[in-house]
Amino acid sequence: MYNKALVLTLSSVRSLEKELIRHGFRTRYTGSELVFATLEALKEYSLSSDEKNFAKRLLATYERIVSERPASAGVLNILRTVIESFLRSGSQTIPSVIMDLKSSYEKALWTVADVACKRVSNGDVLMTNSNSLAVRRFFARLKEENIEVEVYVPESRPGLEGLLLAEYLERLGFSVNLIVDSAMRYFMKNVDKVFMGTEAVAANGAVVSKAGSSLMALAAKEARVRVYVLASLLKFSFESVYGEMIKLPEGGWELLMDAETRNTLPENYFARAPIYDVTPPDYIDAIATEYGIFSPQAIPILLREIYGSYPPSIIPLPKLVKQLEEAYRL
Amino acid sequence: MTEQGVPLKVIEIAEGIKTMRIRGAGRIARAAAEALKIAALEYGGVKEVSPFKKYVGKVADLLIATRPTAVSLPNAVMYVLASLHRANPRTFEDAVNAVVFSAEKFINESINAVKIIAETAAKRIRENSTILTHCHSSVAISAIIEAYKLGRLVKVYSTETRPIFQGRITAKQLLENGVPVVQIPDSAVRYVMHEVDHVIIGADTVASNGAVVNKIGTSQVALAAKEARVRVYVVAETYKFSPTTLIGEPVPIEFRDPAEIVPESWLRNHPRVKVLNPSFDVTPPEHIDAIITEIGVIPPQAAILVLMERLGWALDKIKQGGFAKIKFEDFTE
Repeated sequence: MYNKALVLTLSSVRSLEKELIRHGFRTRYTGSELVFATLEALKEYSLSSDEKNFAKRLLATYERIVSERPASAGVLNILRTVIESFLRSGSQTIPSVIMDLKSSYEKALWTVADVACKRVSNGDVLMTNSNSLAVRRFFARLKEENIEVEVYVPESRPGLEGLLLAEYLERLGFSVNLIVDSAMRYFMKNVDKVFMGTEAVAANGAVVSKAGSSLMALAAKEARVRVYVLASLLKFSFESVYGEMIKLPEGGWELLMDAETRNTLPENYFARAPIYDVTPPDYIDAIATEYGIFSPQAIPILLREIYGSYPPSIIPLPKLVKQLEEAYRL
Repeated sequence: MTEQGVPLKVIEIAEGIKTMRIRGAGRIARAAAEALKIAALEYGGVKEVSPFKKYVGKVADLLIATRPTAVSLPNAVMYVLASLHRANPRTFEDAVNAVVFSAEKFINESINAVKIIAETAAKRIRENSTILTHCHSSVAISAIIEAYKLGRLVKVYSTETRPIFQGRITAKQLLENGVPVVQIPDSAVRYVMHEVDHVIIGADTVASNGAVVNKIGTSQVALAAKEARVRVYVVAETYKFSPTTLIGEPVPIEFRDPAEIVPESWLRNHPRVKVLNPSFDVTPPEHIDAIITEIGVIPPQAAILVLMERLGWALDKIKQGGFAKIKFEDFTE
């Protein structure tokens, strides 16, 4: 479910080219897409299963996310809301809870885009990697506002999702330059602003994003180029407030090539392909959220405003899962 | 013998360099020195110093013209010519000997250079080190293998090096020598940098201010290393130091075929996406801890020293006009 071609397919996904796959091209849910896909799946489960089975499904979903996408704060946060609601009032209200979550997240993404757009001037040259949904919403909004930009897009290995973003931006009519990840510093001198999506925002304002993001931010800092992060507060990792480390998943050679290519390399060939990396808060000029633009270090202040206290009184997910297991004897 | 009196074998070598049959900085340089040696031995003109020098200058011009942007080629040629100039021969025989001797010396030094550099570099590697290298450099590989033999290496990170994946060659060669290698995508350089003790990279060209031109991504690696306080060593033979940069000539950065990055069919389907494929970038001297050459370890900012030592006299000529304008034929008199 979490690695297959997805709802938001683009033309090149449909006609996946052998050559690209040979070089490790693959589709993967972005953090936000995973939020929507998970919500959709949970909604269907809630309609088709009894309470006990739904509890089982919830647990299975949680375990799968923790093992496959442990850094996806967005999904972990919606799971928290769904499990809480389920423990409180059963599966009856789940479909409506999910509808609310979906529409409010969709709204949040557009608000983030609106906020970020204000930071862009006509004629700016931008750089952005990967293929984040928040980033796509941002560019769609730029187009609506008639703000013309030129965009440098690193291909974003592993996965090469930069190709999908380049395609999307081409369709919107922006002028797009596709480059290898190694060329980020080379072209940074031509760039005015860097924008990036998020998998998670940690308590100290560090941002977990696609592998290579921290390198892009470092090159930007060196060139005195501004770095903006697009993040709905749903991406805030509440667990990290209590010292929990955000786990960063890694893959091996299978994320970088096909089996045929692997066979041309020595048997003891070994590869490490991190999927995300962490950009320290001091390389980020601001995070654009649905509540406005904040410095990464000020996110706790924002959370305090929203939740009335800091740390926000949320129940840690592992504790909720335990309650779920006990209540339904799983 | 051609009508200008240049031996056919020399013409053959010049053609080989021009058509890229002879490739690689080291091979090109040695071929050029060899050509000058042959030219001196097979000289068929008046056996006097002055016409001989003029003739050698003409052969030098002919060789340099085969690849105007190469660095090792003019360096080899100037090495021989500078020796001839310094020898200031009184007799024809002395002049021939000066050319033959210096050409042979250049060839031997060039062959030994990799070995000396590897040994020098290995000394700088601390015990239990993890090394990161980018792209595929035979000098860097020799240095890493040497350090491994000394028992100082735990692990090597080798970047894939898009678009052509030269890193896979690096990984393969190191594995064949028993060195433990982990390949990473270029995007993961900063992610692993905190585990790295030394970065060792080759160079395509070293500019007179110590900036290093090398495979795209090198400057990003050096930047991430600097941020993590990891030492960056560039291993480079002295013939990779570019004399023309001294007169402000920029090192040209070639943009290669976009089809190296994405398949032709992708390019056809996305006609409005510009795929930019620069093959090199420039690492500033302040991001390099040392350049390790066969004549020793130098701070990058002292690159000019190598140029002066190795090329001396010819450097003045370059200052006067650059390769496009100078004729060695006129200067050898």
